[in-house]
Amino acid sequence: MKSRGVLIALIVIGLIVVFVLAAVLYGIGVYNSLVSHDEKVQAAWSQVESQYQRRADLIPNLVETVKGFAAQEREVLLGVTEARARVSQLTVTREVLEDPAAFARFQQVQDRFTSAISRLLAVAENYPNLKSNENFLALQNQLEGTENRIAVERMRYNDTVRGYNTAIRRFPASTIAGMTGFREKQYFQAKEGAEEAPRVTF
Amino acid sequence: MVRARIITALLLCAVPALQLFGADFSTLKLSQRVTDLTGTLSPEEVITLESTLTEFEQATSTQLVVVLIPTTEGLPVEQVALAIAEGNGIGGKEKDNGVLLLIATGDRLVRIEVGYGLEGALTDVLSGQIIRREIIPHFREGRHYEGIRAGIDAIILATKNEYQAGPEPDEFLSMLPFIIIFITTLLIFFAQARAHRRGGFFGGPGWVYHTGGRGGSSWSGGGSGGGFSGGGGSFGGGGASGRW
Repeated sequence: MKSRGVLIALIVIGLIVVFVLAAVLYGIGVYNSLVSHDEKVQAAWSQVESQYQRRADLIPNLVETVKGFAAQEREVLLGVTEARARVSQLTVTREVLEDPAAFARFQQVQDRFTSAISRLLAVAENYPNLKSNENFLALQNQLEGTENRIAVERMRYNDTVRGYNTAIRRFPASTIAGMTGFREKQYFQAKEGAEEAPRVTF
Repeated sequence: MVRARIITALLLCAVPALQLFGADFSTLKLSQRVTDLTGTLSPEEVITLESTLTEFEQATSTQLVVVLIPTTEGLPVEQVALAIAEGNGIGGKEKDNGVLLLIATGDRLVRIEVGYGLEGALTDVLSGQIIRREIIPHFREGRHYEGIRAGIDAIILATKNEYQAGPEPDEFLSMLPFIIIFITTLLIFFAQARAHRRGGFFGGPGWVYHTGGRGGSSWSGGGSGGGFSGGGGSFGGGGASGRW
């Protein structure tokens, strides 16, 4: 009769409400975990950036020291200075981490800087006075240390990206990720050619 | 028959220590502060170094660890050092005050890997200077123990901001001072060995010897009251490397 019909309707509505609530709560949980992953990636990224910055900061001193002994090596010195200028023009926003072309460009500018530094250090090999100069040796140590730190932070960044990309691609998190604008982020690629940091052996 | 079996069993115990490190040494677990997998150091030298490092840790909480491996198996020494340092969590979790001195005797590579917390005191530059000035001059002469000793003393001073790097070593410097020091060190060891044999050679820091045998360079050392375990410190890639 009528009251039984109303009761069934109420139960059905109740179940629907419970189901919707559960789905919404689950969705919120997933969204929050995606946010955590994203923040980890951003934190790892800022570590990478600060090590790249640290490297860039060492270069003016290096150039001046080398100039003191090998000013005639104008081409190589200029190459390093120009590469550094290009690096300082890089700006990285959140979107760059998701845009393959922009990210590849970032990596390319940094890698070119690495090559320019390597060339400078290789040229320094020909100047024994420079090679034994205290300041130059100290700068070299700092450079090697920084390159190593860059390698470590890139590796850790890639690890956080792996965690993030896996999280947003898994179902059903992928639907929520799609709705809320979480996109896959880029990995650092291994460089073709020498992986070793610019180094001079004694 | 039984003896052959025992010998075989002992040999088999040694083999895993050399082979099962995983491609990147991340599974190399340290149970002592000085781990010599190359047989370069004598048991006495290992014990001496161990006691220095243990005292240092007890005094300052800084974990300074020495590892000798035959080869990095083609990997960059930086990668291997980081894998071992992080894999064992050298240094305290809060302070990140760990240092690893890694020597690959076959490849003639040495690296000082510095934890985050010590990067201010033991800078890349200082690490490089210690390697160039304290460690490598001895290593070039095949004096591994002296090189490690000098390196450790310098690292300890550096962490206290007291290390003063002398001038870069002159290649033509006379070897005589080192020979004198080496002979004196030998004499001191023999004197100590003779003096202590009565009271037991291992009269020193008691903790090493609770395992009921020579702690020395045994790979499977760790046990009751002795041994080493990392405090969970992290590393960022700071330090310096060198080759001789």
